[in-house]
Amino acid sequence: MSKTQKSIQKSTEKAAEKTQERKVAITVSHLSKTFKLPTERSFGLKQVIFNRLRGIKGYTEQQVLNNVSFKVYDGEFLGIVGRNGSGKSTLLKLLSQIYTPTKGKIEIDGSLVPFIELGVGFNPELTGRENVYLNGAMLGFSNQEMDAMYDDIVNFAELPEFMDQKLKNYSSGMQVRLAFSIAIRARGDILILDEVLAVGDAAFQKKCNDYFASLHGKQTVILVTHSMENVMAYCDRAILIEKGKIIEEGEPAKVTEAYLKLFNLNS
Amino acid sequence: MNIPKIWSRKNSILLKELVKTDFKIRYQGSVLGYLWAVLRPMLLFAILYTVFAKILKMGGDIPHYSVYLMTGTVFWSFFSECTSQGIQAIVGRSDLLRKISFPKWIIVVSSTITALINFLINLCVIIVFALLNGVTPSFTWLLAPLVILELYLLSLGIAFFLGSINVKYRDISSIWEVLMQALFYAVPIIYPITMVSASSVVAAKVLLLNPIAQVIQDARYLLITNQSITVWNFIDNIFLRFLPVLITLFILTIGSIYFRKHSKYFAEEA
Repeated sequence: MSKTQKSIQKSTEKAAEKTQERKVAITVSHLSKTFKLPTERSFGLKQVIFNRLRGIKGYTEQQVLNNVSFKVYDGEFLGIVGRNGSGKSTLLKLLSQIYTPTKGKIEIDGSLVPFIELGVGFNPELTGRENVYLNGAMLGFSNQEMDAMYDDIVNFAELPEFMDQKLKNYSSGMQVRLAFSIAIRARGDILILDEVLAVGDAAFQKKCNDYFASLHGKQTVILVTHSMENVMAYCDRAILIEKGKIIEEGEPAKVTEAYLKLFNLNS
Repeated sequence: MNIPKIWSRKNSILLKELVKTDFKIRYQGSVLGYLWAVLRPMLLFAILYTVFAKILKMGGDIPHYSVYLMTGTVFWSFFSECTSQGIQAIVGRSDLLRKISFPKWIIVVSSTITALINFLINLCVIIVFALLNGVTPSFTWLLAPLVILELYLLSLGIAFFLGSINVKYRDISSIWEVLMQALFYAVPIIYPITMVSASSVVAAKVLLLNPIAQVIQDARYLLITNQSITVWNFIDNIFLRFLPVLITLFILTIGSIYFRKHSKYFAEEA
């Protein structure tokens, strides 16, 4: 895997020299994902044995992503849009290596920081400080590396005076702010964000918006969102997913138009 | 999953953090806190000692029977804690699995390491207790880490195997609880193995082939008295002597392979 990654990197670098093409951060090729969804309650040994005896499979297969291919370039801000249940979040989880592809391949060049489903798995019994370090470890950062990032994260979250309190005493807004700050301030190469621009109050949102605007061209970001405003404001490029397939790809304006059309047709 | 990859810097950082977290959280909100790690096996020992040594007058012919019994209960508690925590580990941390990608085995190993640390503290208590009881220190004490390692690897193998099944079929942890009750009596912890061999030598030999029994009897032999019956001095067949160790390695291998195969799908199934 790493060998192929390296060789791909090398070949893309060569291509970049020749044709001024940009470096590829993520290559997704022919990606498919099928889930086995339990039909009845087929959890528990009893039900499984019962189902076997009656010749019931116990699940139906649902194809969530069907032969998806695309590339994300280094430093690019890519938006992924689509209706509820179109497969966006599954795609993000596949990119973050939380799910395993049924078919196809994902090649990633660089370290990846995912921020999925609001929160990165905080422990309510630990203090804010301890959670920051635990989270850092989950992302692969050592204590020393976290020491260097710590103040920055806490200041961005605007929570320096709460860091020695247990997380269960935080308001939900504070928790999300802290989680979000870790994700965006941790020094990863690729940032993966799911529906998070609505974090915190108006002041914090504005700060995030300014921060996203400043990321432009400096960091690779993949953002899943329902807000076409955000797509237009931050994204260099966007992808529209419908029923597990990419149906539009390219300029944010073009994709936004296609996205809005989906709803006109169905209303 | 080749060897250098397993012990990468990233993984050891995460393992350390998870063990630290486990320690902080385990006894939070309890007045005696970490003392419970020692109190639990010692109280179990106190109950068993009262019932079996004092009331039922068992083990009178064994030198240092109280130390002998304590060694049994502490080793058993370690096995019990290690497996039950390990089996629950993946399900208990499913919130993390669904949000971030990291090697799943670290969760299982971190939960068993907490049990291992608790055990080592209890082992110190045993040694103090043994010295107070007049057991003479011996060079065989230095061999004890070998049998501890064997018991740890056995627990880890079981945790890997049953922990992965438990993700899909939560019945496993309940079944294991009941099975542990049965196993407790199948292992010579409260009763001396001589009690079994007195009526049936074959039954005693069969009991000894259980790796847990082999480890506990070996530990007693190494730590307390060379009058303890072990597979090494009680079973003649060379192959049978090594059978408990082979069973341990077999369970560890099967457990790891099964875990590795299924860990890819934990995030979807948990």
